[in-house]
Amino acid sequence: MKAKGAFLPDIVAFCCAQSAYQAADTAGSMRITYPENIRVIRVPCAGRVDVLHILRAFEKGADGVLVLGCHEEACRHLSGNIRAKNRVQRVNTLLQEVGIDGKRVEMFTLAPNQGSRFARIANEVNERIKELGPSPVKSGA
Amino acid sequence: MDNGLKLGVFLCDCGGTLSKVTDFSAIKAKLQKLSDVTYVGISHDLCLKRAQQAMQKDIKDKGINRVVVAACSPELHENDFMNVVQSAGVNRHLLSMANIREQCFWAHPDKGKAAKKAMTQIGMAINRARFLEPVEQTQISVNKDVLVIGGGITGIQAAIELSNLNLKTTLVEKEATLGGKLNRFANLYPVQVSPEEVLATKLKQVAESQNIYVLTSAELIDVSGEVGNFSARIKRGNGEFVRNFGAIIFATGYTTQFSSQIYGLELSNNIITQSQLEEMLKSSSEVKQIPKSVCFVTDISDEHSRVSPLSALRNALGIKEKFRGEVCVLCQNLKVDGAGLEKLYRDCRNKGVLFIKFDNSPRISKQDGKIKIEVEDVLMSGEQVTLPCDLLVVEETSVPPLDSKVLGSTLYMGLDAQGFYQENNVHLYPTASNREGIFFAGNCHADLDLMQALTDASNVALSAYQLLAQGKIAVEAEKVMVDPNKCRFCLTCIRACPHHAIQEAKVNHEKMVAQIADLACQGCGICAVVCPAKAIKPKDWSDEQILAEFELLGEYV
Amino acid sequence: MIVAERKPLEDIREMIAGYKKILIVGCGTCVTICWAGGEKEVAVLSSQLRLASKKDGNELEILEATIERQCEKELVEALKDKVQQVEAVLSMGCGAGVQPIAEIFPDMPVYPALNTTFVGMPEGEGVWVETCRACGDCFLDKTGGICPIVRCAKGLLNGPCGGTNNGKCEIDSEKDCAWTLIYRRLEQQGRLDAMRKYYPPRNFQAVIRPGKVETLPA
Ligand SMILES: Cc1cc2nc3c(=O)[nH]c(=O)nc-3n(C[C@H](O)[C@H](O)[C@H](O)COP(=O)(O)OP(=O)(O)OC[C@H]3O[C@@H](n4cnc5c(N)ncnc54)[C@H](O)[C@@H]3O)c2cc1C
Ligand code: SF4
Ligand code: SF4
Ligand code: SF4
Ligand code: SF4
Repeated sequence: MKAKGAFLPDIVAFCCAQSAYQAADTAGSMRITYPENIRVIRVPCAGRVDVLHILRAFEKGADGVLVLGCHEEACRHLSGNIRAKNRVQRVNTLLQEVGIDGKRVEMFTLAPNQGSRFARIANEVNERIKELGPSPVKSGA
Repeated sequence: MDNGLKLGVFLCDCGGTLSKVTDFSAIKAKLQKLSDVTYVGISHDLCLKRAQQAMQKDIKDKGINRVVVAACSPELHENDFMNVVQSAGVNRHLLSMANIREQCFWAHPDKGKAAKKAMTQIGMAINRARFLEPVEQTQISVNKDVLVIGGGITGIQAAIELSNLNLKTTLVEKEATLGGKLNRFANLYPVQVSPEEVLATKLKQVAESQNIYVLTSAELIDVSGEVGNFSARIKRGNGEFVRNFGAIIFATGYTTQFSSQIYGLELSNNIITQSQLEEMLKSSSEVKQIPKSVCFVTDISDEHSRVSPLSALRNALGIKEKFRGEVCVLCQNLKVDGAGLEKLYRDCRNKGVLFIKFDNSPRISKQDGKIKIEVEDVLMSGEQVTLPCDLLVVEETSVPPLDSKVLGSTLYMGLDAQGFYQENNVHLYPTASNREGIFFAGNCHADLDLMQALTDASNVALSAYQLLAQGKIAVEAEKVMVDPNKCRFCLTCIRACPHHAIQEAKVNHEKMVAQIADLACQGCGICAVVCPAKAIKPKDWSDEQILAEFELLGEYV
Repeated sequence: MIVAERKPLEDIREMIAGYKKILIVGCGTCVTICWAGGEKEVAVLSSQLRLASKKDGNELEILEATIERQCEKELVEALKDKVQQVEAVLSMGCGAGVQPIAEIFPDMPVYPALNTTFVGMPEGEGVWVETCRACGDCFLDKTGGICPIVRCAKGLLNGPCGGTNNGKCEIDSEKDCAWTLIYRRLEQQGRLDAMRKYYPPRNFQAVIRPGKVETLPA
């Protein structure tokens, strides 16, 4: 088994283009760094993120998934972030059924100018996933 | 296997700054080896005209049919690059971007890690590009007429502004006369002219305009259709008729309500509301018995209202000046935001209006018809003060017009917790509703004084003008599309769409399916996710495109 | 329509344990509409099963198909090509859908992935309520179109019982008393005389009614 420090998790972060994606840009513009293994996927609204997208990310070997949307009450599409939250909750259960720790999927909300919040979330989640170790479905894990 | 894909990758090193941290020619060499990649170019300033002209030429010359740009964030120049792609004769949606500046080289100081991540990002964009789909641009012709509901000052002003912009406007008022609240006030602060004069001037403009059609004692029953082509059913007297409009503006104001619960007492001849006082002062010849002492209680509820303290201060001063006598204002935090309000407060003090600040609500009781108020004065370290008074003026809470719940739900518009109309996203689009082409103005969605209401009306008029002035709106045809063969007509998407952009339609005059109105759809993709039959595809954000982005996961290029 | 719920993954995995290649069949009608067994849920279950078997190091290949209605033999025939390629079939139709598949392909083990719960209707986004127990002798003509067999906790034919409490049911104060609803409806129609008639009891099993399936809105 590899030492914990050597494990670099694959984390997929679905980021709403209205907020979180811009927050990631802001982090870069302010030269605030975060783990480079967070893979940002731009979506038009957190409400576009499907239970299936998240499950498929795990099938492809992700160790963790993040869904990042707008703060509550600030969703351009009114209910997108609330739906995303519900779906993350559903994926938690679906993964738990499979025997994968539901905590590998998390949802956070942020505003476009919150670059440091983006970096902080990325760091914290990265640490948590490292703690959990590689995904149990990862080929060769 | 020939899949017909000819990918062109355009790298930009941002004025040479990114080349300093990584070797672009090495990236280029790697990319050139990938299948379907026809061309890889390096530019230093892809955001500039000259480089974009070169890019356009390269796309044409090399027969590129999918364009990948690896540069700064798509939030900055995506639209410009779409224009370049379009000018090169390729559908503008066949572009995919890799954010190698903000999200790679700027975010990760470790050059090696940043370079590796950049390769991954580009790989993701290339994979996404394989699944891109064209979306055609079309134009939909729209009706340029506007419907304004509510003939208060906001509705009147909106109609006047629209008329000046040469749009025909129908103004629907449920009462017999226009003017709304303004009819009830003797004066307004800080407006120097009387409400009567304000109204008279505005009504004259309305009467003189060729473009405004006023319908009083009329009501909106329901609305069908979409932005650009709404049809509204309007009732007037016993008659009902249908008219078509391109946009609808709600300016239905608010009504006020006295909550006896908050005060623990009922209204009577010497306990009256602010609105009652306004009306009394308006017909001041009727004020026979001049009250010797008058008390106002304001901001007793936690809801911060702008107009309640405004009304209390204005009338406290008015009464003091007109009738002399004792005038006292009991308040908690008297928030005075608005032009000239600080001055109004000072004037009150200078004229001798007494202010008492409380933390705990005053106790009000009635003895032999006389009112007794007991309150702990915060500024006197909580000392108990007892005030007798002849007339007590209490504040009211503002509530939406009675029918806004009904109208809101027949029109599928969002309402907030109190039942006021909810803007789309208050911070981004303060006057837009959740539905494209329906707007809010004035006091039906915010607590505004007259000047603010007028400004609001102008803003809304401009928004409607921008939407309709051309008589046609450019639209991306079927950017989100329902596959009629897969749709089971379960109604899920129709219920879930936050912008009410989906309706039922018939295919072959028979099978019912869901259909998306291109103009009303705002592309969020929620419908695609909730559809249990997987019948909906957002062409710019299809499942295939999203899934393709993590095909490379774990196997960095 | 028929309302159903997905079985727990554990139960489903037990059924298909040992198979290396299976077909999951969705149904495009009732269970699509109640979010239990349409194309989307087929894909979700399929993904879950792949994850689970990968995690345990088992080999499992999954084919997916969703047909218009599983309760029609002619429509089930269309699955032939796919069925021939697999060792077992997992049906995401209701119970009435599982059986025609088993009948058309008698050599093939066919398993249910859903629990068929009741006949009902949507009440809100993601919420379905039971409205008919398919009793076979519809009583609605006497009750103003409100079914007491399902909506009365005791299934009374001559209600309300003594426990009716300001329009609520004594068994569950959250639920409306069906017989109060019936009374009001008949009153509205001027048909209160129907309340005075006596209807001889029938024999129903004691079940908790009305049933309810709740999911988080997608
Ligand atoms: C007590 C009080 C004191 C105030 N004092 C001041 C002050 O001193 N200075 C100041 O600047 N502002 C003051 N204001 C605020 C000012 O009155 C408002 O800013 C202004 O009147 C808002 O105009 P409006 O057109 O938005 O709403 P309204 O005046 O309420 O007009 C709404 C109109 O819509 C009509 N309507 C409603 N529903 C429908 C429907 N379904 N169909 C058709 N028509 C409909 C109504 O009949 C009404 O005519 C005060 C407000 C109050 C309550
Ligand atoms: S993409 Fe969003 S706005 Fe467009 S139809 Fe679907 S749910 Fe409605
Ligand atoms: S959710 Fe899907 S199946 Fe249901 S009506 Fe909409 S498109 Fe049709
Ligand atoms: S098989 Fe069951 S779920 Fe499918 S259509 Fe028939 S009754 Fe409805
Ligand atoms: S009486 Fe009730 S259970 Fe029986 S068929 Fe009618 S609705 Fe269904």
